[in-house]
This record gives sequence, structure tokens and C-alpha cells, in this order.
Amino acid sequence: MDSNIAIEARHASKIYELRGKQKGEQGQKFYALKDLNFSVQKGEVVGVLGTNGSGKSTISIILAGICDPDEGEIKVNGSQALIAINTGLNQQLTGMENIELKGALLGLTRSKIEKIKAGVIEFAEIGDFLYQPVKTYSSGMKSRLGFSINLCLDPEIMIVDEALSVGDKGFAQKCINKMKELRDEGKTIIFISHNLKQVRDFCDTAMWIEGGMLREYGDIDEVCDRYAQYVDYYNNLSGKDKKKERDRKFAKRIIKNSKQSFFDKLFAALKTR
Amino acid sequence: MIEAVKYVLKENFSNVFRIYSIAKYQVLADMRDSKLGLFWNFANPVIQCLTYWFVFGLVFDRKAVDGITYIWWMLGGMVCWFFISPCITDGCNAIFKRINIITKMKFPVSVLPATVIFSKLFDHFCLMIILTILLALGGYYPSLHWFGLAYYCFCAIVFTISLSMTTSVLNMLARDVRKLILALMRLLLYMTPILWDIKRLPAILQRIMLTNPVYYIVEGYRDCFFYHKGFMYYKYSMTTFWIITIVLFVFGSTMMYKFKAKFVDFI
Repeated sequence: MDSNIAIEARHASKIYELRGKQKGEQGQKFYALKDLNFSVQKGEVVGVLGTNGSGKSTISIILAGICDPDEGEIKVNGSQALIAINTGLNQQLTGMENIELKGALLGLTRSKIEKIKAGVIEFAEIGDFLYQPVKTYSSGMKSRLGFSINLCLDPEIMIVDEALSVGDKGFAQKCINKMKELRDEGKTIIFISHNLKQVRDFCDTAMWIEGGMLREYGDIDEVCDRYAQYVDYYNNLSGKDKKKERDRKFAKRIIKNSKQSFFDKLFAALKTR
Repeated sequence: MIEAVKYVLKENFSNVFRIYSIAKYQVLADMRDSKLGLFWNFANPVIQCLTYWFVFGLVFDRKAVDGITYIWWMLGGMVCWFFISPCITDGCNAIFKRINIITKMKFPVSVLPATVIFSKLFDHFCLMIILTILLALGGYYPSLHWFGLAYYCFCAIVFTISLSMTTSVLNMLARDVRKLILALMRLLLYMTPILWDIKRLPAILQRIMLTNPVYYIVEGYRDCFFYHKGFMYYKYSMTTFWIITIVLFVFGSTMMYKFKAKFVDFI
């Protein structure tokens, strides 16, 4: 693979299973992502757009290395991290203990955690609540804490999935600024958001995923314009037409198949490799 | 297969700090969950011991085993069971319990069984302290032979981790596995000579019972406390124990390795 390329997807698909409506009815398979082909340059900041249910989160977990695509392949060149805000925070533990715990969960060493502690506390602005159990925190405080710990990781490729939709505007801006710093350091960032303004402001290129398929990938403004157009078009449809549009997209993603049993799953996994 | 074992061993040994932190904060969080905290770590086993002692010691009036009063003999084995039993039941749930972590970040899943076992180890140490005091009351004082406990404790850790590797993966495929294991645990307690003496069995069954890995560990604990016969006395049990453990570990790591990127699909 070219050393300038951070992520390369070739015919990558992810398949989920749907249960039949009634007992005994055959289940169906469903393409969460279908035949993706793209490559992301190193240092590129990509905004991922798409309506709900089009596969944005699926792509984020595949890129983060949490699961593999079922068909095709996605190669990731460099260390990657998914910015996950509330995961790994324990309600019973204090803010300080959570910093240590989440740092360890993310695979930091003890000395590295000591090093980032001050920065996290500073960035999260939780002040005196640091020694209170996290269960007493407001939801904004929790996400600030979680986000701050994540930012202190130092991955080459960062995947941000709707991370900024929580917290107040001031904090969101602070995060954007921090991510801009990271961008200027030359990190590759995959930014998944519904906020078109943020995407336009922050990203170089945009990827529009619709119904599990890559619709467009290219210059930020062009893609954003066309995406905005599409959203408007969709919203102006009557209820009936909206349903038609949804069904059309859904039909493209379905594969008829029988349901897998426990042992099928077991053997299917054992057969691979 | 060798590749899988190498992978799992490497993942576990390169993440020692991660395992330690998860286990430490698991213990801490559990303690904060209830008002009395640490108290329950002790109260639970004590109450259970009292129950068994009442039923077997008082009602059935068990005679002393090998010249050791029943209550002390039972405690010596039960302390070990109180470690192994939660390790097996919770170890089975190790991956499922952390579902919100493994679906949200890149995480070495194969360390999860170890984190569960090490968090239980803390309870075990607490119990050992109490047991030391109790046994001293019964006239069994700590001696050099007690160092053998470290070896048998290590055996228990390796065995439960190996077993949990397999059960925790199977539990992700179908949650029924945990239900099955919970049901089987009671059976295992009575099938293993923990509350009764192995000499009550016919000779042929005794021979079979010696291959029970849990019995090897329990008998090892008792050997350190009371019998002082040394490791080599149990070489038949020892061989079968390590064979079973290694087979479990290899099988468990293979499962772990094959499924490592597929857990997200099984939720």
C-alpha cells in the first residue's frame, strides 16, 4: 500500500442479520454497508455525511478496528482510535479514578496517565467535582470528562462519531479548536456529524454515505451542497413518497437467506482463516 | 493454534497494567455499590460456611476427617471453593459484561477473563486472612508448608482463566451458556469432595475423582493446611490437572483468536 494512504477500502461490505417477522419465517441478511471503495490520504480530514441509518456508525467501528468487514477489505495504515465519550466511565468511581481507569482501558501506561492527568482536568473544566462520584455529574460534565480523556490519546487516525453533539456550545467550540490543532499536526481525522456547518468549517473532503453505499466522495463544498439539497428534497416529499424512498433504499440492501443457528455461527467463525 | 496461543499470551502479558487497573477499579466500584462495602465480601462466605457446618457438622454429625475436626477440615477446602466458584460464574460473563467497552473502542478482548479473576483474587486474600485467624483458634498455626498455597492459588488462577476463555466466548454466541454454568455450579460443589471425604467413595470412583481439576486445587489447599504431604504426593492429580488446564487454555485461546473481531456482531 502507498505510504501516503491512511485508509483504503476495497469492495468492503458489512452484513447484519434481520429476524423474520414471525416465528419460523426465514430471516434476511441486510447490507449495513455495501461495496465501499475509497482511499483516504494521510493528514486528510474527512467529514462523513448521511441520513440516519445509512451506515455511518458501522463505518466508524470498522475503521476503528472493532470489527472486520464481512466482504472485501479495509486497510488502515497507522494506529487508530474511536473517540467514544461515555464508554468506560464507571458511575461509582470519582472523576479522578475514572481518568485512571479509562486511561488504562485505552491502553495507556501508568506514567503516561500521570502525564495527561493535569491536561484532562484542565480541559474538562470539572473543578471541584473531580473527587465526586461520576453518578453525581450532569450529563454535560460526563461527556466533557470522557471527551477530554480521549483527546489526550495520540493516535495517527482519529475517528470522531457525533462526539460534539453533547455539551454546550462553548465546549463544542473548544473541542473543535483542539481538533484543529490535531489536524494541523497532520493527523488523519474522520469526522462523523449531522452538523453541516461544523463539517464545512472543519473538514477538507466529505464522504456521503446513503443507504449503506458510498454516494459521493470529494471536495467538501460540492458534496455538502448536494447533500443539503438531498435532505431538503427528502423533507419536502409527502409522507407516502418518503416511505417509497425508504423502501427503495431498503430493498437494495437486502439479501434473502436462512437464519443462522448457534452452531452455524460457531463454525462460520472457526472456518475463517 | 500455536499462533492463537501466542497471540493470547502476548496480549495478556503486554497488558498487565490494563488488567490490574480494570480489576482494581472493579473491586472499588463493587465496594462503593453498597453501604457496607467490604463487609459483604466477608459476610457472604461466613454465612454460607455456617450453613454447611450446621447441616453437615451438626445435623448429620460428620466425624472428624483424617483426625481433623470436621469444621476446620471443611473450612480449609471451602476457602478455595469461594475463590473458584465466583471466578467460573463471573468469568463466563467477562466479555458480555464489558459489551459497552468492546463495541466502542479497540480493546484486547482476551484480557477480560484475567481481569475478572484478579478482581476476585482480592476477596480471596481477605478470606485467607480470616481463615488464618480461625485456623489458629483451632490449633493449626501457619507454617512453612503454607507457602505451597501460593502454588495452588496460581493453579486456581490459571485453571479459571483457561476455563473462562472458552465459556466467555461461548456466552457471547448464546447467553444460555451462563445459565447452564450457574446451574452446573451447584452440581460441581457436591460432586467435588469439598463437603465430604473422598474415602467414602468406592476405590474406582476415587480414582476418577482424582482427575477432577477442582479437587486437585481443594486437596492442595488442605495439604498445605493440614496434611503436609508435599506436591509429589499428588502427582497423578497434578498431571491430569495440567493436561486439562492446558487443553482448556489452547482451546479457549483458539476461540478467542477466531472470534476477536466478531463479538460486535453477536450482541
